Amino acid sequence: MIRHPLIRPSATFSRGRRLSYSAPSPWVRGCVVTLILFLANSLHAQTQIHPEINRQQAAAIVRIAVPRPETILPLEAIESPFFAPLTRDLAASGVFAIAPIPPNIPANADLAKAANAEFVLALKITQDGADTILEARLITATGLTPFGRRYRGVPAVLTRMAHMLANDLVREMNGQPGIFLSQIGFASNRTGHFEIWLMDWDGTNQRQITTHNALAILPSWSADNDRMAYTLFSGGRSEMYIINRRGGGRIHVQTGVGLNTSATFSPISNDIAFVGSVAGNPDIYVIRDDSTNLRRLTSSYSIESTPEWSPNGRQISFTSGRSGTPQIYVMDAEGTNVQRLSFEGEWNDDATWSPDGEQIGYTSRVSGRFQIRIANVITRQSRIIAGEGSNEQPTWSPDGRWIAFQSNRSGAWQIYRMRIDGTDLTQLTFDGENKEPDWSKKAE
Amino acid sequence: MINSMNRVVKGFLIGLVLIAMAIVPACKSKKSPAPNVAPTETTATVPNVPTVTTTTETRVTNPPDFVQTQPAPQITTETLPNDIEELNRVAEQRGYLQDAFYAFDESTLTSDSQAALTASANWLRRNTQYNLLVEGHCDERGTEQYNLALGDRRANSAKEYMVALGVDTNRIRTVSYGEERPFDPGHDEAAWAKNRRAHLVIVGK
Repeated sequence: MIRHPLIRPSATFSRGRRLSYSAPSPWVRGCVVTLILFLANSLHAQTQIHPEINRQQAAAIVRIAVPRPETILPLEAIESPFFAPLTRDLAASGVFAIAPIPPNIPANADLAKAANAEFVLALKITQDGADTILEARLITATGLTPFGRRYRGVPAVLTRMAHMLANDLVREMNGQPGIFLSQIGFASNRTGHFEIWLMDWDGTNQRQITTHNALAILPSWSADNDRMAYTLFSGGRSEMYIINRRGGGRIHVQTGVGLNTSATFSPISNDIAFVGSVAGNPDIYVIRDDSTNLRRLTSSYSIESTPEWSPNGRQISFTSGRSGTPQIYVMDAEGTNVQRLSFEGEWNDDATWSPDGEQIGYTSRVSGRFQIRIANVITRQSRIIAGEGSNEQPTWSPDGRWIAFQSNRSGAWQIYRMRIDGTDLTQLTFDGENKEPDWSKKAE
Repeated sequence: MINSMNRVVKGFLIGLVLIAMAIVPACKSKKSPAPNVAPTETTATVPNVPTVTTTTETRVTNPPDFVQTQPAPQITTETLPNDIEELNRVAEQRGYLQDAFYAFDESTLTSDSQAALTASANWLRRNTQYNLLVEGHCDERGTEQYNLALGDRRANSAKEYMVALGVDTNRIRTVSYGEERPFDPGHDEAAWAKNRRAHLVIVGK
């Protein structure tokens, strides 16, 4: 059995669970409720005009000043493990705008005024035995403290604390969980073979989680973020495997059919949809994760590929060549009620659902190059997010604001991340070739 | 009467002498070979038959004789290496196994591909001790996940063709690598054409 040291519970999760959360006082809670009501009220009038844009614009104007933490610890112990990821998270949150900080003002209401910020994030890091304690408070220009929280853990979880705090601040502002603890699975050949890797949402903390020394590709998260399915090529066969971050080794899902590619977990059951093949006829199949109850959902003679469950688990999108070119289709999870979704582009594949189930992103060939296209599931209207090179295999962030994808614009396949309007493009991988990103489903 | 008898005897004797004169030099020349005749010339004159080339030659070299040599196919089998990688190299070099090539986004067999697979099937039928893995490959222009399915279809189209030509279906397995393992890393049509193929690999006995 091959061990996966980086996803053993002892590595991150048992420590993570030691993080404590101190509930805010009734007074603080009252302030938070007031704040949320205020925000909700101010948004309501604008909602009728264009809800999506104005919600983002309203959120984006929350200016926040984030001075370095007050601490006795050396600066380098705080800067890159904690302060850098925290400010990176907040700047990318779509909720906060980070205000420049005037010098020589302590982290209080005066700083909020001087920085022309709605909030100052006052941070204090102390040591208590083996534990590091983080205290975080939001302070308004009028001296109110609508948010206060304490986090405790060993120093190794400082980065996790930064992401948790950023998540909590985002939730405090708009009620939605942040994505700063989400993970992106991908395949990388930087060891000489394609293996399954993970990274944090910002491209840091990249780590290898399979060691087959063969060809392991197409990772796909389970809905609870605990498991990952992938395809392993070994001994002239391609087979489906599942690894579990909580241990138990590697499970071979024995489907009894060939191919076993594009595995994807149902969000509501133990089913896994995948591409199976009997006698050269690739179709969409479903099997339970214990290798039982194999069902074939499509029966066309054409090629069927790349299934993906809708977020509510009731539908499955897939690619089919039945019209003569690869196009995106959607069917009910039982294989009935097949409808074609894509009509533009001569080659479409890699459909992926937005978390709210309203949109599907996919790879679409335009003028000989692959680009990311986003289509509305109901109206079927679509738009292209154009970029250099070929851009393929999109995957949505759990909050629906970002898309990660692979591009060969640098000459090799690398993974990039951008907002769904195509802005804030960031390259996340650099070593070897990296592809097939799959963003975890839960923000966690 | 006696005179006539004498004449007859005389004539006989003269005849004898003449014959003897004729024979003696002949005997002499046989005993002493002429020094100016090269030995190669004599041997060259003995097998006159091979100078008649063209159609009769095969009959001469393959006589229903006791000096029997093995027929050609058995010779090649015995000279095949035991090492499976070396065996695949030899099989490819000598054209025993020939890959099938495809058009873009196609899994149907062209006439060239059919000829390649026919040659491969003939060899496989004669060499039943080997099993075959057919790898389906695609060029980089498609999408990865769809190409994995397309490669599966290509590998199976090649397999089915050889099975139809009499190769036992249980001897042939298929796998698809999609665009994961290109033969030519280039980004032009020449490279792509090489990468759209069903690759035949001997996988042992």
